[in-house]
Amino acid sequence: MTHSSFRTKMVEAFRIRVLFCYAVVLFTLVVIVFQFINLQLVQGADYELKARTNMESFVPIVASRGEIFDRTFSTTNTNNRVIVSNRPSFNISTVPAKFNSKKEMQQALEKLSEIVDVDVNAVMKDYNASNPWQRVLVLEDVSFEKIVKIASHKQIYRNIDWEVAPVRVYNYGSMFSHIVGYIGSISKKEFLELRDQGYQYYQKLGKSGVERQYDRELRGVDGSVKRIVDVKNRTEGEEIGFQPVSGNNLVLTMDLEIQKAAYEAFEGFVGSCVVIKPATGEIVALVSRPGYDPNAIISRDNSDIIRKLYNDKERPFLNRVIQSKYPPASTFKLVTAIAALEEEKWEAERIVNCPGYFVLKGLRDTVIYDYAVFGNINLYEAIGKSASVYFYTMGHKIGPTTIMNYANHFGLSERSGIDLPGEVSGFVPSQKWKRKAFGEGWYDGDTVNLSIGQGFLAVTPISMANLVCAIVNNGIIYKPHVVKEIRSPDNNQVLKSIEPEKIREIPLSPSTLNVIKTGMRLSVKSGTSRRLSYLPVPFAGKTGTAQTRSVRDSKYTQHGWFVGYGPHGADPRDAYVIMVMVEYGIAGAATAVPVAEKVFSKMIEQGYFDVVQK
Amino acid sequence: MLFRSDFNKLDYVLFIAVIMVIAFGIVTIYSAGYDSVLGVNNNMYKRQIIWFVLGFSIMLGLTFLDYRIFGDYSLQIFGFVLVILILTSFFGPRIRNMRAWISFGAFSIQPSEFMKLATIIVLAKYLELRERDIYRFKELLVPTVIVLIPMLFIMKQPDFGTAMIFVPVLFAMLFAAGADVTHLVAIILIAVIGLFVPMSLTYYEWVNPESESILLKLYYNGGQLYLVSVVFFVIASVTFLLHLFRVNKYFRRIYIPSYVFSIGLFVSVFFQRYMKDYQKKRILVFLKPDLDPLGSGYNVIQSKIAIGSGGFFGKGFMEGTQTRLGFLPEKTSDFIVAVIAEEWGFVGAMFLLLALFTIVFRGLKISMYTKDKFGALLVIGISALFFVHFIINIGMVIGFMPVTGLPLTFVSYGGSNLLSAMMGVGLLLSVSMHRSSM
Repeated sequence: MTHSSFRTKMVEAFRIRVLFCYAVVLFTLVVIVFQFINLQLVQGADYELKARTNMESFVPIVASRGEIFDRTFSTTNTNNRVIVSNRPSFNISTVPAKFNSKKEMQQALEKLSEIVDVDVNAVMKDYNASNPWQRVLVLEDVSFEKIVKIASHKQIYRNIDWEVAPVRVYNYGSMFSHIVGYIGSISKKEFLELRDQGYQYYQKLGKSGVERQYDRELRGVDGSVKRIVDVKNRTEGEEIGFQPVSGNNLVLTMDLEIQKAAYEAFEGFVGSCVVIKPATGEIVALVSRPGYDPNAIISRDNSDIIRKLYNDKERPFLNRVIQSKYPPASTFKLVTAIAALEEEKWEAERIVNCPGYFVLKGLRDTVIYDYAVFGNINLYEAIGKSASVYFYTMGHKIGPTTIMNYANHFGLSERSGIDLPGEVSGFVPSQKWKRKAFGEGWYDGDTVNLSIGQGFLAVTPISMANLVCAIVNNGIIYKPHVVKEIRSPDNNQVLKSIEPEKIREIPLSPSTLNVIKTGMRLSVKSGTSRRLSYLPVPFAGKTGTAQTRSVRDSKYTQHGWFVGYGPHGADPRDAYVIMVMVEYGIAGAATAVPVAEKVFSKMIEQGYFDVVQK
Repeated sequence: MLFRSDFNKLDYVLFIAVIMVIAFGIVTIYSAGYDSVLGVNNNMYKRQIIWFVLGFSIMLGLTFLDYRIFGDYSLQIFGFVLVILILTSFFGPRIRNMRAWISFGAFSIQPSEFMKLATIIVLAKYLELRERDIYRFKELLVPTVIVLIPMLFIMKQPDFGTAMIFVPVLFAMLFAAGADVTHLVAIILIAVIGLFVPMSLTYYEWVNPESESILLKLYYNGGQLYLVSVVFFVIASVTFLLHLFRVNKYFRRIYIPSYVFSIGLFVSVFFQRYMKDYQKKRILVFLKPDLDPLGSGYNVIQSKIAIGSGGFFGKGFMEGTQTRLGFLPEKTSDFIVAVIAEEWGFVGAMFLLLALFTIVFRGLKISMYTKDKFGALLVIGISALFFVHFIINIGMVIGFMPVTGLPLTFVSYGGSNLLSAMMGVGLLLSVSMHRSSM
């Protein structure tokens, strides 16, 4: 093998090997190019979305919650009565990373605490040291004046920022507590239930009353700010993503003045009152006492207040009009009387001797005593004077089933469907129920008790008000409601007007109603409600005194009732029905009627009965 | 005739490709160094420009210097750089847990980058001298030792990624020098068996900590496997001796696979038993980053998002959101390709790839037409070095290769890497200018 031929062979071998290298390099280039095609051209859109998700952070702009007005609202009126509004307020916040040191941040906060009530230590303790770019809330609900002060001295209060954060204001405090309710942060449970309906974890929502019932109208739609953030969550820039849409306003059926009168008439008492317009179901006033101040509940340091309210034996959160049940007592005599007359088992003129006691015949005679002796009276007088012996006799004669049927017809055992959350239904017993519950039959004694509204019967005050509505309104009951209309945020447009909705139509003969109404009128003229007789408008009513066990000291106690309406004899369309229920009242006549008197007086003053008086 | 100017022989294509790639890199370092929240640039691009100016003058100097002088002084160069490397590995300042740099005021030098070139020079020279015998297996020993010395000291720093670069470069040069392909394949197989088996066992153990596989037990008991290894070693040696006495030329078919199996098994048992658990896991994460998604896995995910979201035309200069907002990690160094792909899109990425691969292709072309072996092997070594850097870095950025932390030569920020790469290009240009062509 010569030298040159070896060289040639070597060169040839080297060339082949370099060509192989060419092939390897070319192959890897092709593979890499394919991956770029795959990433950038095939999956490009997916990755673009991922890049967007990385950098976009949406900060909510909380929508302004709708305001709530009373029934006198008018667009031309510049001085509308605002029951619930929003107060412009601010939150103060800061970004810890903007300070050079922890000490510097502490100093800045201490400087700030000279003008606003900042808990410097709490803020310093709270903030997340691992992510100093995360904004820290320093103080909620700061007034505009304070913000102006901070803003005009920006060089002193460096790195201190503020955001608009309106605060709900319940202008009449506890006066409307059970109607408007209050709002609160959404709970985990609520969020899980409501997130399909667009609720967000950071939002507040109505927890009770109208705030809860009409939350979807009031809340509006939150907007958002789109922030471009970097990997450390620092903001590079921001733009409005969605403008918030304010919530709709509500106009209540309630009248501030009447509500105020009713609320004040209850000063010192526990109980409830409702004023309804029977022709529509509109609730003009609704009071349940004790109440609570919604402003305190939504305030910054509310935990003590809420705990105290929850532990209160008199249960201030309870809306007694719709969430409590009591024996209706003598007010129920109206049902007994209607049942007897309608079933033609009794005549209004029938005379019954009322000697002050009633003898229930049986194996062994039972004597039931009444407190008063009325002698021989007819049904009119019996209603007017609330003569129990008369109704014992009547009830005993017509039997329990008739009474129960009528109680059920009037809806005493059902919910009214009022537009407030948490309503409970009353209870009307039956023979079947008694057998099941007590293992014994229905006794005549039970019938006698039932006929005057005692015993097992338990009704909600709203259902008693509805009973009177039916009497006034020829057997028709409209669904009681507190909201009259839903208006656009600028109030210019009525989005929804709540139309009267018939919930019951009880066929009652005019003669029956006439007897009942005459009896109720007699009660005011000369009977148990005569305290109202001096008023310039003819009212009618029925009192009641329920005996029940007290929640205070578990002794037997009395609740005073009054149900009534006015003006008597006028067109039902102009009438108003009142229900007053005073817990621990001595008797209906003594405690409930004065409340009705004050409310009616106020209504007369406010011109509710002007049509009739003229 | 040290300096013989013959501009006609300058490889302009290579020259322009290199300048374009470096310029693209500096522009990208400028973009990636901008903090859009604070509105300031970290000014790394300025330092890179300084390194480029320095590198450019050295590159030109080398271009006009006859490369053969490096062959003549190859051992001295190798020794000199090795001493500096060793000193750095032991006494250098600790930066990011590595003793890899020596500082000169504001600038620092990474000797391992220059060690690569020095090693390539000495290898090229050695292989030229051994050209006729390199097909023999024993001739592979000296080149391996030459490479292992700097590798060990670089691992000591510890800079595992950089050390590993030497291996493929060595193989490429041995291959080009005419080594027996069977030998090379056998060595690769031994490495694969020796590493792959313990790694898969570690992985299996990691994923199923409760498992009691027979293979695992065997490995931990060890004795039997050593015995198997020794048996095969004996078989291999006997057939090898018979082969030496030319009993049968087909014995080669027995003893080579036997050696491969025997040594591979031995290495694997050795690794499995004597490597600490955390060491094995570290290698495992290196090979399979999705085992540690919060660590290096995150980087690759963000890198793919950056590349993919660039689309066809890219988001525009300084408009890459992944880059600008910091979601992309190591954006001026390891993941700079993702910045380019995000801001310049598919078009920019293709431009970069073509320019980079042009450098490799030109290198191969120069080597093919170089008559003297030293020049040809030098060029092959340098081209292989560039190529390996390119594919390891780009492969990592596009999610094909483990995250090694190797920069993209010419493009990534880093003075020593740029300087040594430009020196390498200077040598390529010098060979193309001074070679005696075939």
